[in-house]
Amino acid sequence: MALLLQAIANGLLMGFLYALVAVGLTIIWGLMEMINFAHGEFLMLGMFGAWGLSVAFGLDPLVSILPVGLVMYGLGVLVYRLLMRRVQRGDPFTQIFATVGLLFLLQNSAVAAFTSDYQYLTNTLLTRLSGAKIQILGINLGIPLLIGALLALVLFLLLYLLIDRTEFGLALQATAEDREAAMLVGIRPQKMFAVAWGLGAALVAVAGCILANFFAIYPQVGFPFTVLAYAIVALGGFGSILGTLLAALVVGVVQSVTTVYLPPAFKDAFVFASYILIGLFRPQGLFGRF
Amino acid sequence: MDVSNRRLGPRLALGALLLLALVYPIPLQFSGYTYFQTVGFLVLLNAMLGIGWNVIGGWAGQFDFGPQVFFAVGAYMAALLLIHFGLNPWLGMVAGVVGAMVLSALVTYPLTRLRGHYFAISTVAIWMIAQPIGATWELINGSRGLFIPVQAGHGPLRSLAELQFAGRTKALGYYYVALGLFVLVLVAAHLVERSKLGFYFRAIRDDQEGAEGIGINSRLYKVIARSITAGVYAVGGVLYGFWALAVFPEQALDLNWSTLPMMATVVGGIGRLWGPVLGAVILIPISQLMSTTLGTGPLAGRGIDLIVYGIIIILIAALRPTGLLSLPWRRWLGWAA
Repeated sequence: MALLLQAIANGLLMGFLYALVAVGLTIIWGLMEMINFAHGEFLMLGMFGAWGLSVAFGLDPLVSILPVGLVMYGLGVLVYRLLMRRVQRGDPFTQIFATVGLLFLLQNSAVAAFTSDYQYLTNTLLTRLSGAKIQILGINLGIPLLIGALLALVLFLLLYLLIDRTEFGLALQATAEDREAAMLVGIRPQKMFAVAWGLGAALVAVAGCILANFFAIYPQVGFPFTVLAYAIVALGGFGSILGTLLAALVVGVVQSVTTVYLPPAFKDAFVFASYILIGLFRPQGLFGRF
Repeated sequence: MDVSNRRLGPRLALGALLLLALVYPIPLQFSGYTYFQTVGFLVLLNAMLGIGWNVIGGWAGQFDFGPQVFFAVGAYMAALLLIHFGLNPWLGMVAGVVGAMVLSALVTYPLTRLRGHYFAISTVAIWMIAQPIGATWELINGSRGLFIPVQAGHGPLRSLAELQFAGRTKALGYYYVALGLFVLVLVAAHLVERSKLGFYFRAIRDDQEGAEGIGINSRLYKVIARSITAGVYAVGGVLYGFWALAVFPEQALDLNWSTLPMMATVVGGIGRLWGPVLGAVILIPISQLMSTTLGTGPLAGRGIDLIVYGIIIILIAALRPTGLLSLPWRRWLGWAA
């Protein structure tokens, strides 16, 4: 029982990180209804950004969030302007090809630049705190993961306020709802889509900066996160920001509890089994509104 | 003149291609560059898989990221049947195809409730579930995989019967087996394309509601389409397993078994019979070419070939998403009326 509670607690903490990984996709896929199979590659670039800044300038990954986020925002906008805008109006499959091509390009450019070796960050604030924990009701919470999770939660809530409470966020939602109507009230859809791609790339790269403290950094790290993010967005009810948070917590707990009873290889299998089951029986997602 | 030209041109081209494919490995055999026979083998294998992928992805219009599951089913079934019962690999291939098609039907039927991107993700999900099963299932020896008992060293006919070639003729033997299976799959796909089945697939792709309106059961035909894909993948899996003399989860369930044939299909022309063939002829040798030109230099083994793939596919998506075969070749070649 104690083991189970411990697993649930760890799963919840990971879930906050997953929420930040997935929410960029909630905007691109859930809200704007565009596909992006290179989502995890943006995360990988974020991790390498944090690693590079740490090795070259001794910057802590938590500080690198700002420069990495800004650069990746620019890259996201660029990807939309140069590539996705061209394939947006055609057959929806064209978006799959284009982003699978992007996946290959980004992942293997990282292989060319950094090799496929695993890199680890060791001298960061969070890794120096490793081993430190606090005990609540007999459950141990690792301080580094707790800080990472809280940071992810704060960023997530800021994004929620941006999308749900500001004029800009309403313009974004209006574009997602009906492009032509949005144009009539003076919103430029192209600009909104570009911003959505910028935000999507920046958010997942920022998540990468935090994750760089806990995971090995290597070029192929992204794809598992991509599929995990798709499962989370679908479970959360496409386009629902808070649904994404709840679904990410569910996914974190499912993964963590699975590893208590089964070999670790199965931790994602149950997440994807629930994706299929929920897709079949509740296509609007666990927390969808329609 | 025009009429005969329109028929003669493509037929001559087809004959020339077949002749070229038959003759290709022979000078290589005498000059000792058997490595390029293996390149030909990989081109034919990926072209065959691409033709298979095209059935669900191109004609039925359902994007599939998970056919490597059926590649693995074919490879594992033939290997297991040989190891435990001494069954001939060709019979094992038939069993693998049947097994893969049945499994595909059972798994795909529920998934067909999902459409578009959601279907695509669900095929990834099935693959994600298959991986830990492959890595831990004791029957198939978990992540250690299966080794195929070597029986080579006999005459050409017995090698063909046992699907094992060795020594100097290894690459040559597998090349011709791959060519034979490729032609078989190509002809089968051609027949499916011309049949009612092919018409139903495309009707569902172009307008699912409309197709249902004229009485086509869209879920049934999607299942049939994916099972055909699964059958072709099982053939490829058996062939590859015997070529590699081993089957293990990371090899058989490699995502590249769906992404490379898919890219070949897209580059050549999605939904066209010859699309995956042209794409495989263009893409697959790039990999081999890169590894020979980069040699042991600093960029060797650093994924440069895959960067080139990425750029090609991005360009195709942005400039000509219907693929190279959709360019007005007939007019350029003077075959048009």
